[in-house]
Amino acid sequence: MARLDISTEDLIENPTPRVPVALCIDTSGSMDGAPIEELVTGVNQFYDAINDDDDAHDAAEVCIVEFNSGARVIQEFASIERLQRISSIRASGGTAMGEGVNLALDTLEERKRLYSDNGVLYYQPWLVLMTDGAPNGSAAELERAVQRVTDLIGNKKLTIFPIGIGAGADMDVLKRFSPTKPPLRLQGLSFKEFFEWLSKSVARVSQSSPGDAPPKLDLEGLAGWAEL
Amino acid sequence: MFREFHHQTRGRGHVEDGTPCQDRTAYLNRAGIQVLCLADGAGSAARSELGAQALVEEGSKLLADSFRSIVTRDDGAQIKVEIVQRLLRRVERVAKRRRLVVRDLAATFLGVAVSDDQFIAAHIGDGVIGYVKDGEMKVISGPENDEFANQTTFVTSESAATNMRLLRGSLVGVSGFVLMSDGPASVLFDHRSKTLAPACRKVVDLVSSAGNFSVPSYRYQLRRLLDTKIRDSTKDDCSLAIFGRVPPVGEAVA
Repeated sequence: MARLDISTEDLIENPTPRVPVALCIDTSGSMDGAPIEELVTGVNQFYDAINDDDDAHDAAEVCIVEFNSGARVIQEFASIERLQRISSIRASGGTAMGEGVNLALDTLEERKRLYSDNGVLYYQPWLVLMTDGAPNGSAAELERAVQRVTDLIGNKKLTIFPIGIGAGADMDVLKRFSPTKPPLRLQGLSFKEFFEWLSKSVARVSQSSPGDAPPKLDLEGLAGWAEL
Repeated sequence: MFREFHHQTRGRGHVEDGTPCQDRTAYLNRAGIQVLCLADGAGSAARSELGAQALVEEGSKLLADSFRSIVTRDDGAQIKVEIVQRLLRRVERVAKRRRLVVRDLAATFLGVAVSDDQFIAAHIGDGVIGYVKDGEMKVISGPENDEFANQTTFVTSESAATNMRLLRGSLVGVSGFVLMSDGPASVLFDHRSKTLAPACRKVVDLVSSAGNFSVPSYRYQLRRLLDTKIRDSTKDDCSLAIFGRVPPVGEAVA
């Protein structure tokens, strides 16, 4: 009778399917002071929470796009082990939201292409859009961004989390980015609670198998730090 | 003549969240036609384990009943429609009896039937079907994921017939087949090169070379492989179905 001897070399080590998360954050002048400081703390806690979760640790890849008077990538896509904790972010200038969202979408598309070219499976990308004001960049860019996001959501190719920070956030414009679920408004500066919730959601999606429903917003988990 | 093995085991993630094993496998030998089937129930479907069970039972009968017809007909598109229709009729009956809706029973389907010198393979969704031909392990049908890792086609999907892979071929030079759900595919299928792991060849050879003992040791060894090394590598349910060609008397397996 033959004996089955399967060693590690007989098996394949496939890369873990990835969850690409783009944080698209408002760093305009109105975010200066406590809001931007709390946001930086929240992002670092988000990294720590992902690092501590076995499933999210291998799956999550995060990038940060900031928008103020323009838009730029301040953190390229990276796995949690390569993500540098942020010491500070400077807040100044206007609110070019359309430019920021378009850059975040471009970055996500580029990342997906990289996954495909390298045979890495991936989940639906996430876009977290955070602002404390109203857009005042190019109107055409804003319309293009809204169109791109709504098309992607309609084709089930993107999950968006539009977050309003404080009373001055233009919830109407955030609503335009999210046709299927209302935007959230943070109560006070509850970034810590938001990012904690976000990391748990990333962990949930990274465990999902074909046919699993996409993770639903944990509405009870939102109580106390956000309002719909 | 092929010797068979099939087994499914509950994934670690399903143990953690209290959901049952949603993978199912089955074997049928009828009138000289041997059939192996495997189905993987959708995580989002309420009772997909019932759907998977119905599909492996009905799929086995279907491939045995229709084998002679499928290997000779040329209207592949129509055959796919007929296969999906018959599988769906069974799923609908189960849904009605259990007072469920059809989508509660969503599952993938993989099947291989062999007889004389020909084989057929049918595949809807993810998972992998491979075979050993002329001593080389090759993929017959790979996983069909939509763009994202947690999306695929199920027998209950509108696009089931369109997305079905239906293949037939000669058994000349073929020494075995392996069918797997997406759980074991995480270590038995290379998603980058679209090739099968060396372990696949080893398990097929084991089944081929096994003797007909009353308590066959190869089954024990394969169940142990699936329940430990493969299961430990994924949180998903794991199922395998293997055909190994029984060598003619006096001829050893390479």
